[in-house]
Amino acid sequence: MPDAIPSLPPTTARRCRLRRFPLALTIAATLASPVAWADEAALKAEIAELRTQVAEMKAQMKELAAQNKAAPTSVAAAPAAITTTPSPPPAQAALAARVDRLEQTVSTQAEASSATTLFGYGEIAVNRPTHTPNQTQADLARAVLGWAHRFDDRTRMAVELEVEHAVASAADKGEVEIEQFYVERQFTDRVGGRAGLMLVPIGLLNEHHEPTQYYSVYRNLVETAIIPTTWREGGLALYGGTESGLHWNVGLTTGFNLANWDPSSSEGRESPLGSIHQELSQASAHDWSGYVSLNYDGVPGWQLGGTVFTGKAGQGTPDFPAAKARVTLWEAHARWQPGPFDFAALYARGTISDTEALNLTFIGQPTPVPKLFYGGYVQAAWRNSWAFKDYSLTPFTRYEWINTAAAYPPVPQGLGVAMTPTEQVWTTGADFLVSPSIVFKTNYQHYKVDSSKNSFQVGFGLNF
Amino acid sequence: MGMGNKLAMNQYAPAIPRASTKPRLQALALTAIAVLCALATPMLRAPVFAGATDPAGPNPVTLGEKIFADPSLSASGAMACSTCHDPGHAHAQSNDLAVQLGGANLDVPGFRAVPSLRYLSLTPGFSFDADGTPTGGFNRDGRAKDLLVQALRPLFAAHEMGNATPADLVARLARTPYADEFRQVFDQNIFDDEQGTVLAVTFGLAQYQKFDPDFRPFDSKYDSFLAGKLRFEPAELRGVALFNRADKGNCAACHPSGRGPDYAPPMFTDFTYDNLGVPRNAEIPATADPDYRDMGLCGPDRTDLTDVTDREDLCGAFKVPTLRNVATRKVFFHNGRFKSLRDALRFYVRRDTNPEEFYPVDANGVVQKFNDLPPALHGNVNTAEVPYDRKPGEAPRLTEAELDDLEAFLNTLSDGYQPAP
Repeated sequence: MPDAIPSLPPTTARRCRLRRFPLALTIAATLASPVAWADEAALKAEIAELRTQVAEMKAQMKELAAQNKAAPTSVAAAPAAITTTPSPPPAQAALAARVDRLEQTVSTQAEASSATTLFGYGEIAVNRPTHTPNQTQADLARAVLGWAHRFDDRTRMAVELEVEHAVASAADKGEVEIEQFYVERQFTDRVGGRAGLMLVPIGLLNEHHEPTQYYSVYRNLVETAIIPTTWREGGLALYGGTESGLHWNVGLTTGFNLANWDPSSSEGRESPLGSIHQELSQASAHDWSGYVSLNYDGVPGWQLGGTVFTGKAGQGTPDFPAAKARVTLWEAHARWQPGPFDFAALYARGTISDTEALNLTFIGQPTPVPKLFYGGYVQAAWRNSWAFKDYSLTPFTRYEWINTAAAYPPVPQGLGVAMTPTEQVWTTGADFLVSPSIVFKTNYQHYKVDSSKNSFQVGFGLNF
Repeated sequence: MGMGNKLAMNQYAPAIPRASTKPRLQALALTAIAVLCALATPMLRAPVFAGATDPAGPNPVTLGEKIFADPSLSASGAMACSTCHDPGHAHAQSNDLAVQLGGANLDVPGFRAVPSLRYLSLTPGFSFDADGTPTGGFNRDGRAKDLLVQALRPLFAAHEMGNATPADLVARLARTPYADEFRQVFDQNIFDDEQGTVLAVTFGLAQYQKFDPDFRPFDSKYDSFLAGKLRFEPAELRGVALFNRADKGNCAACHPSGRGPDYAPPMFTDFTYDNLGVPRNAEIPATADPDYRDMGLCGPDRTDLTDVTDREDLCGAFKVPTLRNVATRKVFFHNGRFKSLRDALRFYVRRDTNPEEFYPVDANGVVQKFNDLPPALHGNVNTAEVPYDRKPGEAPRLTEAELDDLEAFLNTLSDGYQPAP
């Protein structure tokens, strides 16, 4: 999900940590709501001004508190004032009036803004395999256009329409797809709900997969092959957060359909769950799945979290020998951003149970159903290691280990497929931002096991 | 059963050579006339469907079943559809003749082995894919565009049921015990219209094949295995592995063993065409003429592609058949050259390592490989893919022991599996 349609206010509100909570919510809503992007430049300037004024207020409040603390005798001299509602000092009254004006300003701006906004992102990549340069390929990997509409202060919807690989036709490999289609409502200040086709809140990338959200030309392998980014399901979600920085999200969604597994294709080896996801396209919905996601960002600079997703995948298919099969995927992640540095780590592990009888029917085929697959990565980046005006450079490096078929159910001796070793991949390069929304990237990928995949990559992406 | 040589477009090929067609001119002409007449009679199409709305009474399906089994509709009075397409033998021939004898005296030999009609109604119509690969169609050369046309030819072919004209067929039909039912379903005056009656007959036969579950029971042992209802024996498991493995039998490349879209049961054919270079079969009388060559897609039976001068690569290619019920077949390949499943399997894996086992050797000791094709067309034979990618002196892709396992698996594809009590 792009920054243009971020999650509802609690997260941003908590980060503001203003004592005037209604004002904080209003400002946060302005920051988060799609209406804020109707006239982005003007509103950004307005918001910057508001932030400045809030900072000034804080300073003035602090100054007032210090003044009060320094003059206790005034309280003793006027005890009646303690037992009755005191009249605000002139400075406080002025501040309160100013806050009211600010709130009114924000409210007026929100109302004046359009209720419907556009957003989008896209990326172009060039991949040059070092051993087979004749297979160099340039691709408009995706172009996404989205729109959001605010029905009222608490209710909105969003849609993302994506075209992959530039051309989608019967004779081309491209696809046209609806990546998100949901409506959400803020029930209380701390709890919201969402319904429709929505991204599963898992990992660091699935919900925030715009090119400016990650460092390499292509998304990391773990959050492509193990977590099938961009992974979305249809269903219902309930989410919220606490003031301490804990966010929760639970959902009841459609799930995977194991009957779609193709043992003759390599797709299941490339991404086990990516080959059987349904994307709410006439999805079999006999078996529903559920997830629980927790994230904590109460300590400045830190983000810790994890998600568990599980559900049966037989989908009631008649005569299906894996009717009880269950897909479970869990992950844990951490991100630490001290100063200009950005460190991240993630581990994901998936299982598909009760597929022994199904795999017997796939004997001799190259891609049976694995019972275990996993992957993880650690990543380090130095943001803005070089900067000039709007330009900045961010070198990074990432180490990944990944195995899309780490174990299979048992089959008779000699009839199984060969196990593949865990692949290890280094990706090193740099992102060059010409603005916060436009990034040029380059990196080199080195595969330890299958060196034929070693490649040099360049690309650029943008989002608005 | 190996990987099909997906026939690619050849823009520089010379004109397709023609084989002798004299023995079949009469039958072909009658067939063409009957097809044209039947398709050009729209006035009868409404009454054709009129009786089909009453499932309890006579309908095209029940009439098709009676027609299918009625020998009185043939010139000999002794040949019905079911004579060659015996329901007791998976709707294929019950004898081991390379070609059947038909006509008024049951003494006119045919040209090709009898194909099974099981699962035939699930075949798509003939077409070329975007890359020029021919796909679908009925008959071994795909020349019949649908089941109606497919059902028409045997009624009039001189070497099959032998009706000389549509009038002959109508006269015979009018004498059957179910003639009144026929009129009731289609039209009281239908026998006054010969072409309309022919169309109604083929419609009934097509409907029978489409809707009678006997033609597609999907009740083999393999179907139960796919459903997880039973376990295969070790030899059967090894066999399915050899069948699927791209480096062994590679059979599944043309005869897919997995379920299709929407979890449809496997058809064991991809409906494409392949040129296997099957040896010439001297048991077919027509081969006494050295100029006679059956080259499938490019004739002599199929004539609509012979004008496509840039598709010489089609010559010698025949439709990939389903392997369901393959173990019940009495003869194999389009010309019935082999009479046992083991011999057919052995041909696949030893054709290129030991060609002398299948082809004649000339006076100089040279094996006349691919001897049923003109030498100029030998390049059309699939020799690149597993299991054909061998050379003399190399080991076949499958050993005799592995062929035992493969055969064990193919035996599980026969309909009507009854688990042991």
